[in-house]
Amino acid sequence: MDVYSFVIANKELFKVIYAIIVISISVVIVLKTHRLFKLSLHNGIRYFRNAFFFFGLGFVSRYFLKFIFDIGALFPYAQISTVLFDFFLIMAGFSLLYSLIWKKLEAESMTRSSLFNPRMLIFSLMTIIIVILGLVWHTSYLFYFSQIVIFLIASLIALANVIKRKSAKLQRWYLTAMILALIAWVLNTLAEIFYQFNQAMLINTYATNMIFFLIFLYGVIRATKVN
Amino acid sequence: MGLFGQPRLIKMAKKRERLEVIRDILKATKEKRNIKPTRLLYASNLSPQMFKEYVDELVEKKFINIDVVSDKKTFSLTKKGFEFLNEYKVLERFVESFGL
Repeated sequence: MDVYSFVIANKELFKVIYAIIVISISVVIVLKTHRLFKLSLHNGIRYFRNAFFFFGLGFVSRYFLKFIFDIGALFPYAQISTVLFDFFLIMAGFSLLYSLIWKKLEAESMTRSSLFNPRMLIFSLMTIIIVILGLVWHTSYLFYFSQIVIFLIASLIALANVIKRKSAKLQRWYLTAMILALIAWVLNTLAEIFYQFNQAMLINTYATNMIFFLIFLYGVIRATKVN
Repeated sequence: MGLFGQPRLIKMAKKRERLEVIRDILKATKEKRNIKPTRLLYASNLSPQMFKEYVDELVEKKFINIDVVSDKKTFSLTKKGFEFLNEYKVLERFVESFGL
C-alpha cells in the first residue's frame, strides 16, 4: 500500500490530525505575537496576529464544528461550518497581506480596536460579498481566486523584501511560505476544476499547507527567541 | 555650499519608525529618573505636537507615569516601559524578519 492509499484509507483520522496541528500552530503564533503586540501596539504585528487568529478559527469551524453538526445529525447546519471556514480563511489572507502593506496605506497609530477598526470592517465586507456570491452561484471559484490573488501579491511583496535585504534569512523563509500557500491554493483550484477532487492531489495540497504553517511557526519561534 | 564652493551633500536623517521613537522616549525616561517634560522633549527629538501625542499615548497605555511633586511634573518609567526596553530587540527582529 503506498502512502497516498494509506492516507486515503485513514482519511478521517488524518483530517483530524491535520486540523489539530494547524490549530495548535495558530494558537502558539497568536499567543507569541499577542504578547509582542500588547507591548508595542505595532499595527504590522496586529494584523499578522489577526491572520493566525482567523486561520485558527477557520480550521476549528471546518473540522470540529462540522463534526459536532454531523454527530448531532444537524446536517442542514453543516454548511454553516463551510461558510465560516471560507469567511475566516479569506479574512486570514487579507490580514496577512495587509500586515505587509499597512505602512503604505495608514499612518502609524497606537489606538484602535484590533477587530472593529475601519480596515478590518472593509475586509469583512469584501469577505462577506465573496462568501455570499459563492453561496448564490454555488461555486468555490471566487473563494479560490481571492486566495490565489492574495497570496500572489503577498509573494511578490515578500520577494521585494528579500531582494531589498539579501542577508535576512527569515525573510527568505517567509517568501517560501507565501509561495507554498500560493501553490496550495492553485492545487486546490485545479483539484476542483480539472481533477474532480482527486484524493492524491488534495493530499498534496494539505501537505503543502502544513509546511506553510510549520514555516511560520519556525519563523515566529526564531524571531521571538530572547538571546 | 561647502567651504571651497563645492556643493555640499545634505544627509537627511532617516525618518524614525514608531517603535524607535517610543524606544528613544522610554530610554531617556529610564536614564534620567523623574525627567522633566522639557528635557524629555529634547531627548525625544520630536516636534512639541508629536511629542505630546506620543507622551499622551504612552501615559494612557501605562508605559510611563506622570509624577507631580510640588507642582512640578516629571515622568518616570513603569514596569511595562521597562519590559518594552528589554524586549525591544525582539520586537525589532520580529518586525524586520516578517517585513511588517
